[in-house]
Order: sequence, then structure tokens, then C-alpha cells
Amino acid sequence: MSVTRYTKMTYDCADDMVFGQAKHPVSYGFGLKIGAGRVIPEINYAPRPGTEKDPEKLRREYVDYISKDILNRAVTAGFPDVQLETEWVSQMNQEKLCVPVVAGQKAICEKYHEEYGVNCGTRQTIPDQREADNGLRPGMDSLHAYPEKMFQCAEFACENGADNLSIESVGGKELSDYAVTNGDIVAFLFGVGYLGSIDMTYIWQEFANIAKKNRCVAGGDTNCAGANTSMFMAGGFLDNDVQKTFSAVTRAIASARTLAAWESGAAGPDKDCGYEGIICKAIAGKPTAQEGKNCQCAHCDLQGNLIAQCCDLWSNESVEYHPEFGGSSVQCWFGSLGYECALMNTATQLKQEKTLRDLYMYTDRTRGPEGYVLAYDHAYEIGQAIAANGNDLYLRSRAAGLKAAEIIINGYKSKELGLTNKQLDVINDIYKKISALPEDTDKFVEYAAKEYQDVPNFNLKNYGL
Amino acid sequence: MTMASSDVKNGEKYMLSAKGADFSQVLKRYDIDLQQVATPEQMAKKMLPKDEVFKKVAEEVLYMRFKTVGPVVMEALKQRNPLDVINNGLVAGMEVVAKLYAEHVYYLPEIMMAAKTMEIGIALAEKQVPGGRETKGTVLMHAAEGDPHDIGKNIAAVMVRSSGYTVVDMGRDVPIVDFVAKAVELKPLFVSGTALMTTTMSVFPTEAKLLQEKGLNMPFMGCGGAVNREYANSYDLGIYSEKAPQTPVIADKIRAGYDWKKVREEWDNIIGGA
Repeated sequence: MSVTRYTKMTYDCADDMVFGQAKHPVSYGFGLKIGAGRVIPEINYAPRPGTEKDPEKLRREYVDYISKDILNRAVTAGFPDVQLETEWVSQMNQEKLCVPVVAGQKAICEKYHEEYGVNCGTRQTIPDQREADNGLRPGMDSLHAYPEKMFQCAEFACENGADNLSIESVGGKELSDYAVTNGDIVAFLFGVGYLGSIDMTYIWQEFANIAKKNRCVAGGDTNCAGANTSMFMAGGFLDNDVQKTFSAVTRAIASARTLAAWESGAAGPDKDCGYEGIICKAIAGKPTAQEGKNCQCAHCDLQGNLIAQCCDLWSNESVEYHPEFGGSSVQCWFGSLGYECALMNTATQLKQEKTLRDLYMYTDRTRGPEGYVLAYDHAYEIGQAIAANGNDLYLRSRAAGLKAAEIIINGYKSKELGLTNKQLDVINDIYKKISALPEDTDKFVEYAAKEYQDVPNFNLKNYGL
Repeated sequence: MTMASSDVKNGEKYMLSAKGADFSQVLKRYDIDLQQVATPEQMAKKMLPKDEVFKKVAEEVLYMRFKTVGPVVMEALKQRNPLDVINNGLVAGMEVVAKLYAEHVYYLPEIMMAAKTMEIGIALAEKQVPGGRETKGTVLMHAAEGDPHDIGKNIAAVMVRSSGYTVVDMGRDVPIVDFVAKAVELKPLFVSGTALMTTTMSVFPTEAKLLQEKGLNMPFMGCGGAVNREYANSYDLGIYSEKAPQTPVIADKIRAGYDWKKVREEWDNIIGGA
């Protein structure tokens, strides 16, 4: 699959973006149309511990219990659409464990579509178990052969009924781990913005080929391993291990990386935990999956409403399968998603979608710097900065980071956004450090490769360099 | 509200107007309201060692001067014995860092850089300790087989090491047999396992059982995003640590003689201050 970088914005302005509508909608599964007018709930789940030990137990857990519960609840509550997301547990890199689950979910979706008319389908999110110390590319990992297994998983998924192929890829993680724990934004820019983008471009060309061959849709990715780790450690108001001004900038940089999947043949939607999806949608016009207030089963964050502003799929992130008073956990959280989507879709029907979008956005716009940079008007500006440098993976990541820092600093100066003293110190330092970086990619790579040579497991060969 | 340039379409501002809205009725910025206003210098003043030589060493750690800690430690070693330089200078400096962290003056990056600084200093001073330096004990850490997520473990390892323990970190995705063999070889004070996935944490009961079969009864600390206290307490040897800073606190109790049952019983009291 060829690579086409985005050098201009698909949307003319931020106001054209709204939830449930993307410039380039995607259809798959049994009647699912993503970004074509309705927001669709996407429910994700984890099997109970121990079920992974036996193929039949695992199939039963995913298909007969989890999938059936969800599809039943769709009919019970009158939800027209649902996307199931199966994030493969690590053991599913074996054919005997993954194939019955993928095929079983396809079959049960078909059954509910035929019997009840539920529009449904599955996103199969395969595991990226690659380890930087053993090698990220095929032929390098003689211990586990994880790179080979990753591509094999894509084949298993697409050959057996996946409607959407996705992954949470880990390219650049060795540097982002270092960057987040040491508060080093330049290391993040190098690891995620530059090296991570190279890795994603490499793997997604192959995924897009595998998907196309099997008439599956190549969905997208997320910088879960980097920007989400950063945001998770920044946490809420009682946490702050990482400063929220730092995590906000990592999110902007991550968007330049996540975009690479769509430039390499993927059609969308991307992964829900990629909060950077709003920036990617602004640039590419492809549908985005998001998660917020209805993913409290998985984690708390500070933009639970805001992040719904322009979503096309609305997700719960993940919940372990177990009983609750209102049914199984997947039924309860699917119900929560389904009603939120119903609200958004009602707003669309009543032509109030931009009003609801703005209400979502305003509730969290100033709750913290992360939400502030992801507010759709600011996300659009970051998108413009990326597109203006679209052909250069380093320069566009640098531009994204710098723009995010500018937005936060200007928000503080205008008294719209409050910051703690520490958050202010950190964002000023970030701005200074990114501004000081060379505007020549070769010079930057030469500098960064030397500066971070001692970071554990860092190896340029993982990126073909 | 200041509107950005992209907020304008056909010359009109498009966003719903927030004029007159009072967002204090919507959200409360506890982080701003409750922020610590004292500087590290102000807070550390009363905590640093009185002895000028040790104070200078401790300040290297406190201010994360990993490029200059070497010469400062070498100078101190001319005037004080190496164990005192370690305990009363480097470790004392790290203790101040830990207090600043607890008071939300310092954060994770400062902990990591201060620990790095301390370790550079300890490595130099240790060379002059006849027979080597004794630590508070050995702790064996690993992330579960099949689980590549190890950032939490890495942070905990730094904090445990900074508290004076020797940490043997086996990394991530560690095969069960390798982990058990290493525990048998080292007979550590306690072992820990981390997991971010419900289907990888399920190796912990297996590993704990294998340790018992080998005659080892040290506590097995279960940690990580997928693990909760109920799960960690569901198998023999199992104890729980919710956050990295709790781990050295629990370690000190184990060192003081608490077995896994007593750690469980006293858990709320133990972690109360962590």
C-alpha cells in the first residue's frame, strides 16, 4: 500500500466538524455506517481471568456470553447500532484461541442482524507484543518472533471475519516510557513523533494490504503506550505524577503519529483511547472513535464530555465481564453508551448537533490543559500545524507540540485557562525546549540519537535506520 | 473568552457564546486551589543534614545534579567515611526528595532524576566500603508472563531502590519458570509481580503456589492496572500494593517481620501514610 501524507486540511474550518459525521464515512459489518450521520456505540470488554486457558472456554466467554449479552441488550433497549470491539488478550496470538472467537463473533452478529435488524460488526484489535530490546521488525526477535506473530494475528483476524482491523502499536515506547517518567518532551518528540511514525507507516502498509486482501476494513491505531500513559499518570487533581501541561503536549505530538495509519492505507475509524483522534479527524476527515464519560469503568479523566464533541464511535474503553445489578457489566455499560449516542443522534435529528457539541466542549474546556488543547477549535489549529509540515514526520510533530504549548500559554495569559505554578513552569520549559530544536530533520535525528543513546532498549535498527 | 482565528467562519464567530457564563458553577480546579506554594528550597531547609559535608552531598541529590554529584561525593569521601556519605548524605538527600514528593512539591520526574543522582553517588562511595555495602534486603520484581506493560514496575523499582533495598528486576513478559527459579536462587525478602491485563495477572496464583511448593513463604506482592486488593489477597502469599510509593512502605514492614498474613491484616494502617 502506498503512503500519502496529509499536507492540507480536509475540513475547511473547525465548525464543520461535528459528532456522527465524517467527510469520509466507512461502511462494514452488517449495516454499520461509521461517520455517516449517526454516532454508534462501541462496546469493549475483557474476559474473566482464567478463561484464556482453554480455547472453548474463551470462545464461550466472548461469543456466547459477552457478544450475546450485548446484542440482546441492543434489542431490549432499542439501540439500532452496535460495534463490538475485541482487544485480543495476549494468548490470542495462537490460532487455536483467536480463530473461534473471531468467527464466532462474526456469526452471532450476522444472526442478530438477520433476526432483529441490528446494525452490527466487530473491530478486532490485535495485540502488539513487540519488545524493543528483542527487535520490532521481522527477523529481529529470535526469542519470541513477536513481529512475525503480530502480522500473523492480522491475517487470522481478517481471514476469519473481522470487520475492522485495528491495533495499539508500540513503536517508540522505549523512548516514551523514558520521556514520561523523566519529564523529557524532546525524548517524546523523538520517540513518538518521529520513530513511532516511522514504525506505524511500516506496519500499517502491511495491515492495509492484509485487510484489503480479505475485504476487511483497516481501521486505525492510537498512541496508547505513550500519550495515554502520560495522561493516565497525570491523572486527576489528586495525582499529578506527570504534569498535565506535559501530557497535553504529548497528546498533540501523538496525533502526528496516529495519523500515519490513515496515510498508509487505513480508512478509519481509529481507536477509542486515542484522544488525539479529534486532531486526526480534522486533518483527514476520517471517522474517529472516542471515549470519555461512559468509560468510567476503565478510568477517570478530565474531559469526559468534551471528547464526545466530534466522535463517530463512542466507547466505554473496556470492562471486565461480570455481573451487575442491571445485568452483566457489558450490558450495563453498553446501555450507558447507547443512551448517550441516542442523545447525540437526537440532537442531529433536531438540527441541534452543533449546540450539543459546544455544550460537551464547554463543560471540560477549562477543566485542565489536556481538554483545552483537544477542544475542537484548538484541535483544528494543531491539525493545521501538522498539515503545514505534513511531509516531514519530525517537523510536523515538532509543529504539533509547539502549537499545543502556544495554545496553553495563550489560554493562561488570556485568563481563560487556569494553571498551577508547576504546570506553568513545565509548559514554559516545554515551549523553550521545542523552540530550540533544529528545523532540519537530519540535524535533529543526529542530535537525538546521541542524546538518548543510553535509554534502555533504544535501537535505531528497530526503525530501519 | 478569547476566540482563536479558526473560530471564524465567513467572518462570523461560530461557537456557542460563553459570555457571562460562570464555569465555577460547572467545575472546581482543586489542583490550583490547593497547590503547595512553598519552593523546594524553602521546604528542604529544615530537613537537610546539619553537617556541612553531608549537606552538600544531600543537596546534589535534592537538586538532581547528576552531572556534578560525582566530584562532590569524591570530595566528601576525603573527609567522611563512605558508609556515612551514603547514609547521611546521599540517602538523606533522597529522603528529603521523598518528603517533597509526598507534599506535592516534587513529582515523578524529580524522583527519577534524584534517584539517578543518588545511585551515581552510591556507586562511587560503595567502592570504598570494605566488603561492600549491605542493603536493607533484596526484592525480586517482574511483570507477568505475556504482559509487556512495565512502566509502573520500573517506577516502583526506583522507589524501592531509593529506600535502601537491592532490587533484582527481571523485566517484563517473564516466563513463570524463570521467575520461580530466580526466587529460589535469591530467596528475597519479598517478590512482586505486575500486570495490566486480567488474563496475565492470572499467573500470580500459579507462581505463588510454585514458590510454596519450593518451600518459600515470602510475601508475593500483586500490582498493576488490572490487579486489585481483592484479587491479590485471593491466593496464599498474596499481598497488594496499589501505587508505587506504597511499595517501600510495605517493604519496611516485611523487613520488620510482617509475614503476608499480617501485611494483609494491617494493610490499611500500613499504607495510611504512603
